[in-house]
Amino acid sequence: MPRLDQLNEIQRNSALMFPCLEHDDTPWTPWRKELSQSKVAMVSTAGVHLRGDRPFTGGDQSYRIIPSSAQSGEILMSHTSIGWDHTGFYKDLNLAFPVDRMQELAERSVVGSIGENHYSFMGAQRDPNIMIEDTGPDVAYRLKAEGVDLVLMIPI
Amino acid sequence: MCVLARVIEEAGLTTVTIALVKEHAEKVKPPRSLFVPFPYGYPLGKAEDAPFQHRVISSAFGLLDHIQGPVLEEFPEEAGPLEYPQASGIRGAYDVLMEDAANEVTSLRPFYERWVEGHQGRTAVGVCNIPQRRFRGMIRFLQSYATGEDADFKERPQQLPVPQFIRYCVDDLKAFYYEARMCQKPSSTEPELHKWFWGETAAGKLTSKLAQRMAEAGDPALERVANGLAR
Repeated sequence: MPRLDQLNEIQRNSALMFPCLEHDDTPWTPWRKELSQSKVAMVSTAGVHLRGDRPFTGGDQSYRIIPSSAQSGEILMSHTSIGWDHTGFYKDLNLAFPVDRMQELAERSVVGSIGENHYSFMGAQRDPNIMIEDTGPDVAYRLKAEGVDLVLMIPI
Repeated sequence: MCVLARVIEEAGLTTVTIALVKEHAEKVKPPRSLFVPFPYGYPLGKAEDAPFQHRVISSAFGLLDHIQGPVLEEFPEEAGPLEYPQASGIRGAYDVLMEDAANEVTSLRPFYERWVEGHQGRTAVGVCNIPQRRFRGMIRFLQSYATGEDADFKERPQQLPVPQFIRYCVDDLKAFYYEARMCQKPSSTEPELHKWFWGETAAGKLTSKLAQRMAEAGDPALERVANGLAR
């Protein structure tokens, strides 16, 4: 799950009818580094943000910057969809936005370092045009400027 | 998520994507995606299980070995609750005249505070920015709105319309209740928590009433907010 055959009818139809952009090919940036020498950052679509930062609103395609030094207690979530169970997020931020796991990977030298910032959007957008044309490229530009080599993309 | 992975890869960065819906990843074709057979809201599978979460991340990083794509692999373990009951599916033995969410908040507060203490100060409460000591007042405001009055709350930020402010208040109430309940009854599973909140608490009932008032107003913007409160 969500294997479609395990969803209830409303959720299954919602997933099947979701207006995905369809592509025949994929962009490809070759991976030539060692993970242990790479700078890694996360991009989440869970609608997370710093406590006190502007919460997300319906249809909001802007993004929030979350410094990788932020403690888990400083991070909130204001995703407007209740089509997903928020309980797991209450229990453990890392389930959706694994800030502690990232730090552990850096401490164990599995990855070289963590980027200065992680970034967060609110997913489940039926028309993600602004993300594609504007806010997504803006985040990519920032990640490159911060010297990030690899981006872990995490849905909700 | 898959769309954003394409945008970021196109800009010259390497991405690995966790995908919750295989059928979407097949259509959108992000460069490297790991399908995880977990419920929505559980992209790393299990809460408070660091080894499991590391296995998911490690599998995602494993996709870097491929020299061409799109790559779509499947994570071999299952996890997460199998049920997500929502308000409309839960019928409680609840009597609105007997209970008041304001009193409920007061009685749950010690459990909530213990939950926060036990989690190094982490709480999902805080989106509406109203301090907890004002939650009773906030509930009086929500109760007035639910009964159709033209209610407002003096701490509402000016730039936030009343319905959006109500959404954030309800998000905070839900987080407060769930965190308190997980401390009060640690063995609660996710479906049990939902059944408790929607079926047995005055706050659950109040939330459903708020959603009902908004949905019946005949305003599409209000209906969207109502859908985010209860369904």
